Amino acid sequence: MTTRDDVEQMILRVGLGDRAAFSALYDATSEKLFGVCLRILNDRAEAEDALQDAFVRIWQKANSYAVNGYSPMTWLITLTRNLAIDRLRARKGGSVDIDEVHDLQDTGPTPEAAAVAASERSRLDGCLNELDADRAEAVRGAYLEGYSYDELAARFAVPLNTMRTWLRRSLIKLKDCLS
Amino acid sequence: MTAADDHNDDIALAGEYALHLTDAASRRAFEQRLQAEPVLRALVRDWDEQLAPLAEGFKPATPPKAVKARIEARLFPASAKPRWSPWRMLAGSGLAAVLAVAVLVMLPQDPGPAPFTPSLSAQIAAEDQSLIVLASYSPDTGTLRIDRQAGAAAEGRVLELWLIAEGAEAPVSLGVLPDDTQTDITLPETLAASIAGGTLAISDEPPGGSPIGVPTGDVLAVGAVVSL
Repeated sequence: MTTRDDVEQMILRVGLGDRAAFSALYDATSEKLFGVCLRILNDRAEAEDALQDAFVRIWQKANSYAVNGYSPMTWLITLTRNLAIDRLRARKGGSVDIDEVHDLQDTGPTPEAAAVAASERSRLDGCLNELDADRAEAVRGAYLEGYSYDELAARFAVPLNTMRTWLRRSLIKLKDCLS
Repeated sequence: MTAADDHNDDIALAGEYALHLTDAASRRAFEQRLQAEPVLRALVRDWDEQLAPLAEGFKPATPPKAVKARIEARLFPASAKPRWSPWRMLAGSGLAAVLAVAVLVMLPQDPGPAPFTPSLSAQIAAEDQSLIVLASYSPDTGTLRIDRQAGAAAEGRVLELWLIAEGAEAPVSLGVLPDDTQTDITLPETLAASIAGGTLAISDEPPGGSPIGVPTGDVLAVGAVVSL
């Protein structure tokens, strides 16, 4: 079982250019990070490319890890998720595929979203539950599916500015609850 | 608009950045602010940490074996030179010895400074080699000789040198590097004892160096201290 400290040590050693540590870090974390890429991109070939980009970036950026104050898995997941979403947006060219949005609406809440809610009575879940249900769903959709403001506005059938105002207010409320 | 309103705005902006809600142009604009505002960076980090429980929704999946091989081929092509070669170091110090002899021969009346005989060294290099600083340490004189071979501080910024002693939690500043490419730093005895086995790093800092005693900017380059 790889602990949080193990992963942290691996990242620090990767920051010093240690290839063996890089290999060990890949073995310990690539399944989770591939899961991030697959979920966001929903395409195996693209997820593989995104995972490659992520580990190249991890190798390049690990020397800044010690001073950025992140916990190790959050740092790895944040970096990977951002790269995967960049790739998703580049593919979509910023436009919203309405058919796809309808498909997603038809499927209702994803099993994973339900699993997250059930798996951990975390503080975050508690605070998300204090938001209106559709706004909490928008936050979860943005995090897990990489939805942009544009996509969320289309999905919830509200004007873009309304969605932006909704979410900004929700984020301030969420932060109040979390702090 | 009050300061509290501004702070709430920043909380919301940092949150929408962490969630990746905005388009590329807005993200770049926000990243400009992040560069300059440590408080904002901390807000984004706090969001990333606080939202992290949602990452439980990312179900682990095993990537094909070939992916790891492709990553390593991309990062470590077989033809690439080693990032640090002890042979090159030996050749370098051999040349220095020849030059030292030449100086002594040409100036027989002047004993000159004590010869610099390093026993420890570190190549502090950026991943992309955009900054390369060779540091060599002579325990006889307590001198750390700094030779900046590539790269320089960004406009309006300085380079600060740090020692991370083996097993230490926090780096210790060895000072801001001068504009000269070569400089000698005399280490206090307490630090001299912990340089062996340590790591040297260089960070990007505001003029005068980090105001808080730990790196505030990007760590640009690192290098392990090795025995010669």
